[in-house]
Amino acid sequence: MGTENPKHPTYQLRPAATPFAAPQSATPFVSSGPVVGSEASAFRPAPPSSQIPTPPFSSGPLVGLEAPAPGYRPPSLGRSNEIVRPPPPPPSSLANGPPLTGPFQRFPAPQFTTTGQVPAPHTFGQPAVLPPTRPPGGAISSPPVSLQPYPQPSPISMGSSPQNIKTGQSSMSFPPSSDQPFSPPRPNVQPSSPPMGPSYPIARGNFQPPFPGYASLQPNTVAQAPGQPDSFSSQHGGYGPPAPQIPFLAQQRGYMPVPPVPPVSAPTGLYARDQMQHYGIAPPIATSQGLAEDFNSLSLGSVPGSFNTGLDPAALPRPLEGDVEPKSFAEMYPMNCSSRYLRLTTSGIPNSQSLASRWHVPLGAVVCPLAEAPDGEEVPIVNFATTGIIRCRRCRTYVNPYVTFADHGRKWRCNICSFLNDVPGDYFAHLDASGRRVDLDQRPELTKGSVEFIAPAEYMVRPPMPPSYIFLIDASISAVKSGMLEVVAQTIKSCLDNLPGYPRTQIGFITFDSTIHFYNMKSSLMQPQMMVVSDLDDIFIPLPDDLLVNLSESRNVVDAFLDSLPSMFKGSMNVESAFGPALKAAFMVMSQLGGKLLIFQNTLPSLGAGRLRLRGDDIRVYGTDKEHALRLPEDPFYKQMAADFTKYQIAVNLYAFSDKYTDVASLGTLAKYTGGQVYYYPSFQSTIHGEKLRHELTRDLTRETAWEAVMRIRCGKGVRFTSYHGNFMLRSTDLIALPAVDCDKAYAAQLSLEETLLTTQSVYFQVALLYTSSSGERRIRVHTAEAPVVADLGEMYRLADTGAIISLFSRLAIEKTLSYKLEEARNAIQLRIVKALREYRNLYAVQHRLSGRMIYPESLKFLPLYGLALCKSTPLRGGYADVQLDERCAAGFTMMALPVKNLLKLLYPSLFRVDDHLLETEEFHNILKKRLPLTSGSLDTSGLYIYDDGFRFVIWFGMSLLPGIARNLLGEDFAADYSMVTLSEHDNDMSRKLMRILKKPAVLIAILTGFYNYTDKSNKKRNILFHDPDDSIDSRQPPVMVN
Amino acid sequence: MGDLWAWLIFFFTLIALLIILVYQLMCLADLEFDYINPYDSASKINKVVLPEFITQGVLCFLFLVTGHWVMSLLSVPYLYYNVRLYTRRQHLVDVTEIFNLLNWEKKQRLFKLGYVIFLLFMSLFWMIFNALEDDDHSL
Repeated sequence: MGTENPKHPTYQLRPAATPFAAPQSATPFVSSGPVVGSEASAFRPAPPSSQIPTPPFSSGPLVGLEAPAPGYRPPSLGRSNEIVRPPPPPPSSLANGPPLTGPFQRFPAPQFTTTGQVPAPHTFGQPAVLPPTRPPGGAISSPPVSLQPYPQPSPISMGSSPQNIKTGQSSMSFPPSSDQPFSPPRPNVQPSSPPMGPSYPIARGNFQPPFPGYASLQPNTVAQAPGQPDSFSSQHGGYGPPAPQIPFLAQQRGYMPVPPVPPVSAPTGLYARDQMQHYGIAPPIATSQGLAEDFNSLSLGSVPGSFNTGLDPAALPRPLEGDVEPKSFAEMYPMNCSSRYLRLTTSGIPNSQSLASRWHVPLGAVVCPLAEAPDGEEVPIVNFATTGIIRCRRCRTYVNPYVTFADHGRKWRCNICSFLNDVPGDYFAHLDASGRRVDLDQRPELTKGSVEFIAPAEYMVRPPMPPSYIFLIDASISAVKSGMLEVVAQTIKSCLDNLPGYPRTQIGFITFDSTIHFYNMKSSLMQPQMMVVSDLDDIFIPLPDDLLVNLSESRNVVDAFLDSLPSMFKGSMNVESAFGPALKAAFMVMSQLGGKLLIFQNTLPSLGAGRLRLRGDDIRVYGTDKEHALRLPEDPFYKQMAADFTKYQIAVNLYAFSDKYTDVASLGTLAKYTGGQVYYYPSFQSTIHGEKLRHELTRDLTRETAWEAVMRIRCGKGVRFTSYHGNFMLRSTDLIALPAVDCDKAYAAQLSLEETLLTTQSVYFQVALLYTSSSGERRIRVHTAEAPVVADLGEMYRLADTGAIISLFSRLAIEKTLSYKLEEARNAIQLRIVKALREYRNLYAVQHRLSGRMIYPESLKFLPLYGLALCKSTPLRGGYADVQLDERCAAGFTMMALPVKNLLKLLYPSLFRVDDHLLETEEFHNILKKRLPLTSGSLDTSGLYIYDDGFRFVIWFGMSLLPGIARNLLGEDFAADYSMVTLSEHDNDMSRKLMRILKKPAVLIAILTGFYNYTDKSNKKRNILFHDPDDSIDSRQPPVMVN
Repeated sequence: MGDLWAWLIFFFTLIALLIILVYQLMCLADLEFDYINPYDSASKINKVVLPEFITQGVLCFLFLVTGHWVMSLLSVPYLYYNVRLYTRRQHLVDVTEIFNLLNWEKKQRLFKLGYVIFLLFMSLFWMIFNALEDDDHSL
């Protein structure tokens, strides 16, 4: 920093400037870097000066200065910087945000701690400080260096000097700044400032007196009390005493109109509201800019003249674009795996436990190892046939783009544990001058974040299994009557050609009612043979070999079976269900091979082991402390079975159809611990839900599936994954056992810091999934990502990922509902979101008078909204009466497995208006771009709307919709009861068009009726009314109100 | 003299209890360090859970019938805890959740262990006390 004390005022400026830069890049972060720029550097690529921390400081004389400097307060710096800076934020424009952050962050703590200073620092902490320091006039120049936060003593010159520097010289140091929109102020400032510089000493003298006054004023400013304008001006005055002020104000005003910077949500709201009124002059330019670049805010104050207190619903940011992944981060680390596979809740890993504890949102990751990649971005497959897979000898990390080669390419250093490994002879390649391997471009594993290795025999405990499917189908009366049996048989038959793994695929069927029916599908038979076992206490398999057969060999028999299945049980009057014994039988059939067990279950298990009671029908339990027990499996039988299934590599997918209570909580455990999925169709009727079942079953059967998989997430030293959330079973503390995985499954994990202080620059994560592909190859899919370690909370917020956070939140909340009341689970989420936003507010709010506004970082702008959506999602919503218990549990199981994007879509579905399209006035693809906010205000009685949450479509016919449209879509009987209508394609353009829109996977299961009718369908009402201000405001307000 | 024998029996019962608890803790520790898989660990532990409960119940009963009601009273909380676990069907280790509950299971058993050791010392004390008393009488 200020290496030498400037001899001349003018010089001073200069030195200061340089010092400035240095400090920024260097230490600031850790040490609380008062310097504005510092933060930017912390993260940002931008800062010119590489991170050279302390050295500069070391200079003797400076040190002395430094001490004082701290006193001078980061704030002052920040302040001065800000004000001056408005334009300049040195780093790229992006950088602006961060720099601001820097100062602010410091503010909160220091300011308050040093109460006296507080006021001053803010507006002009510097001045206040200055007086004391004065004496060391020479020192002044150095002050900028003073990164130290607290020491008041010397702060003195610092404040002022930086300003001078900037203003006067800023052009040099921060040329870019001038370009910015704010440039206007600059000119003004500069003139004023230059004089300042020279006059420094004097200025100080003058200043001091004023400061005291300021101090008092400042509090106000901080508090944002009225009168700010004055204080403000005075502050400016601080700069160059009186004269400058005026220009400043003028500038501000000039700005005012401009201010609404794009990022600010509801700009008008912001400025237009109270603040404007109160102050007449909005926050200083700097502030507005800061707002714009660093965070967004929402005004919560009441609008004058309206009764409605609270936020303006129209101003809420809404994720109408769907999930937007943080792009900038991916660009910064091009070798990271795509965010499809791995998303961190924040890409800035806190460097200390104390910092982590201030980040109230969970720290963790959401992993979707087999996410579907768009064409052209498939994961490259690498075969280390001869060398064996290259892994670190110590921590078993797979070779990845972040390993470094040393010793002329003979050694490589593991990026996770820093162990120096030998490079096997076959893998050796020379290094070029820059230390890169010459064969880099032929080695996808060294350039791509995601690769797939072909695993040699060491990675197998048995030969790779063929894909195998066993269908366990309920054949009781309700299954037949609802049409389930028929739909299932048809769908399976239609999928036979597309089952993965041809020609090795194995298939088998078992049906059950009060007895268990096995089918001999031997390829030599013409017709399947049915064998009935009625001894439920001692299950045995009548034929050991021919129940699970090779599909390609026995195709004819299987076809014949599926054709006859619906008719086979047509006359059945059996109402019992021997589900437990049937499950055991299926287990026996599959235990040799493993595979996927699809259960179609229609009646509450009533016979044999695992029979269940109608405990969900007992109304007395609801609303009591024991309610959560209903969401837990009742009989340990199911947990035990699930554990056994996982052990033998069997994944269970449960399809539940009952129109009565079926205890999905118990049955779903089977899917939960085997990496499966629960599909629930309450009151299944093939005419209404058939299409949905067909679609979902088809997807289940035909999507690419990985078998007998295990997954482990490794991470660098100092951090550790402590808990895992999702549908799977842990085989050891960090090994996730997944009998079957596919692209629709994601797993979340929470991180914790093991060491109090992380000293590394970045942390690496590596997800490795060892699995058997459907083609019978053993493979390892490896995703590697790097995340920087940051020392500053603002940076963590900036790098946060709302999608991952919400995904983790949803899993935590759903798990919480298993042992607590729903309300507590919801409160826990809200509390954490509020805390997070409050913490963020504390970083900034003080300087910007933001009372009455909620502020939030750009990265988390949808967090409150998704948090609300989560609280209103099926598993967490309302009380027991709002959602059927089974539905709640099923949704819980589903959400525990959903990848981030699907989850966000489920939480905030898309709503389109389509009648314009049907009338041919608008192009189809335009419509899909026009997502409407989910408020009742979006619905017009004369419109036709489609609501899509990824699992179903809801089509909403407005009451005054043109009758022609309804007739075309629904046929002649449209005027009858809408609830009886089924949607099918009719022979006209309009209907075909609609069907084309709906071609997307998912099916209409409900048609809502007239405009007001939707309110009494609680289900739909929730979704559509979702954003009514009344609903949303209460949970939103807290963050704002907190000061 | 009879008392001395009684104390000897208590002592060995307590040792048995101690061994059972240590065995469970070992299984949990092995699991934590990945020496055995959760299935084996859980089945090993579950196999001895009921014997542990029964031994403890018997011990408590013996204390009572032999008139050592203070000792009996001391072991009642342990018994109550076990009974409560049993009636809530939480006494067995859950394979599927074993890793999430690992810390809790360990803590619970460590407390039990401490408790048993305390009882052990008490009974040791009484045993020696009795032996000395017998000696005095014989003199």
